[in-house]
Amino acid sequence: MSARAWRDRARRVALGATLPLALLGLWQLASRGGPGAAYAFVPLREVGAGFVEVARSGELRFNALSTLREAFTGLLLGSLAGVVFGAALGLSRVADRLLGPLYHGLRQVPLMGLVPLIGLWFGNGAGAKLVVVSLAAFYPVALATAEGLRQVERTHLELARALVLGRRDTLRLVLLPSAAPFIVTGILQALAFTWIASVGSELLFSATSGLGGFMSLAQAAGRMDLVIVAVASIAVLGGLMNAAVMRLGRRAQRWRHAT
Amino acid sequence: MAAMIRPTKTPRAGEHAGALHIEGVSKSYELGDRSLPVLQGIDLFIPAGQFVSIVGQSGCGKSTLLRLLEGLDTSYVGRITLDGAPIVAPGLDRGIVFQDHRLLPWMTLEKNVELALRMRPLPARRKAELVREYLALVGLQGFERAYPHQLSGGMAQRAAIARALVNEPKVLLLDEPFGALDALTRIRLQQELQRIWMRSGSTMIMVTHDVAEAVFLSDLVVVMDGKPGRISRKIPVPYPHSRERGAAALQEIEREILALLLDQPGAGAPATAFAAPAPAGGGRLTAVKA
Repeated sequence: MSARAWRDRARRVALGATLPLALLGLWQLASRGGPGAAYAFVPLREVGAGFVEVARSGELRFNALSTLREAFTGLLLGSLAGVVFGAALGLSRVADRLLGPLYHGLRQVPLMGLVPLIGLWFGNGAGAKLVVVSLAAFYPVALATAEGLRQVERTHLELARALVLGRRDTLRLVLLPSAAPFIVTGILQALAFTWIASVGSELLFSATSGLGGFMSLAQAAGRMDLVIVAVASIAVLGGLMNAAVMRLGRRAQRWRHAT
Repeated sequence: MAAMIRPTKTPRAGEHAGALHIEGVSKSYELGDRSLPVLQGIDLFIPAGQFVSIVGQSGCGKSTLLRLLEGLDTSYVGRITLDGAPIVAPGLDRGIVFQDHRLLPWMTLEKNVELALRMRPLPARRKAELVREYLALVGLQGFERAYPHQLSGGMAQRAAIARALVNEPKVLLLDEPFGALDALTRIRLQQELQRIWMRSGSTMIMVTHDVAEAVFLSDLVVVMDGKPGRISRKIPVPYPHSRERGAAALQEIEREILALLLDQPGAGAPATAFAAPAPAGGGRLTAVKA
C-alpha cells in the first residue's frame, strides 16, 4: 500500500473513532457524579478490570462461543430453509399464490412477539432458541431468494432453452447464480438478525450460557461492569462478522466488478 | 438454384446435412381480441450448407421467423422441417447467436462455451478439447479463463459464435449478430464469419439490417416486407466464396436490394405511432467503400 493509501486509511479510522471516543469520555465524566452515577455509568477502569477478570477465567470466551454457535446454527438452518422456500416462491406461481400471503403476513409479526407461542410449543430451552434464531435468518433469506429469482434476465432463460438445458441445470447454472447477489445480500442481513436474535432469545428464554445469559446473570448480581463487557463484546463480534461476510460476498461475485 | 451458388469450401468431418423447408408459415400475435399478423405465407427452401440472409425493415417479422426456426416459438401455422423432421423445440442441431452476446456473466468464456455441450454425452476431456478448439477458431485462444465483462463487444460476440458452433450444428441462426458492434469490428467479424462458414459446412441463416453484410456473406438474400411480414424477393448472389468486400458485382446486387427496401411502403416514415422513427431505411445500411 502506498503512503497515500495509508494516510487515507488512517484518516478514515480516526474519523470513525471520534464519536465512540467522545462517548467514552462523556461516560467517564458521568461516572464521577456520585455513587448512584457510578452504578449507572460504571467507571471505565472497573469495566476494564471486569473484562480482564472474565477474559482470564474463560467465562467470556465460553459464553461468546456459545452465542456464536447458536447464531451460526440458526443462520445455517434458517438460510437453507429460506433459499428452498424462497426458490419455491420465486419459481412457481402456484407456490407464490398459495404460500406468499401467509409468509408475508407472518413476516410482519416481530420475532419477539412470537416468543410466548414458541415457548409454549418448543419449551423454554435450546430448542426454542434455535427456532427463534433460525426464523430470524429464514425471513430475509427467503425474501431475497424469491426476489433474486424473479429478476433473472429473460434473455438468459431463453438461452437456457436454446441450449436445451434441463430444469435442474437451468436452476443450478443459470437461475441460482443469477440470483446469487440477492441471496448473498439476504444472508448478510440474516447474519445481523441472527446475532441479535440469539442474544435476545438468551435474554428471554432461560439461558445457561451465551452472552445474553451472561448479561442477565451479571445484571442479577449487580455487576454492571460485566453487563457493559457483555454489551461491548456483542457489538464487536457482530461488527467483525459483518465485515467478514461482506468480504466473502464480494469475493463470491468477482464477476460483477470490472477488475 | 443450388447448383449455381455452390460455394468453394472444404467441409470438415463429413458433410452434415441441414436443409430447411419452410412451407406456408404464418403467425400472428393475439392482442386482446385483436389478431396482429406478423408473418404471412412464408415459403422458403434453404439447401444444406448455404448461407442465407434475411433483410427487411424493422418489424417485418424477420427475427420472429428466426425464433421459429430455432424452435423458441412454436405457435404458428404451416410447416418447418429440418432435413425432413419438423421443428417442434430448440435442439442442438441448431445453434443461435443473438444480437446481445448473452454470455453468462458469472462464468468464464470456457464455461460459457462448455454450457452448450452440457447435454452432450461426451467425456469431460473431449468437451474441454472442443471448447479450446472453438475458442481458437474464433480467435480467442488465451482468453479461456476471462470473464465476459473483461472483453470488448467484438470479443464477446466471437465467444457467442464459438458457443453456438461448438455442437457442430447443422444450422447456425444469427439474429443481427454484429448489429451492436462498431463498423470496423463488424467488417472484421464478417470476414471471419465467412471463413468459419466455409470451414464448418453448416447452413447459416442471418437476419441483418446491413445490406452490404448480407450480400457479402450470402448465397441468397431474402428480402422481406412488413405488415404482415412476407417474402417480397429472393435474390441470389451467385459468386463463389471467399469473396472480396466491395467487389463491383456485389455492389450492384447491393444497390438493387437497397432500392427494393427503400421502395417499400413505410420504409421512410414510421408505419405506426409506436414504431421508432425507422432508421431512414438506409440509416443502418452501410455503404461499401471500394
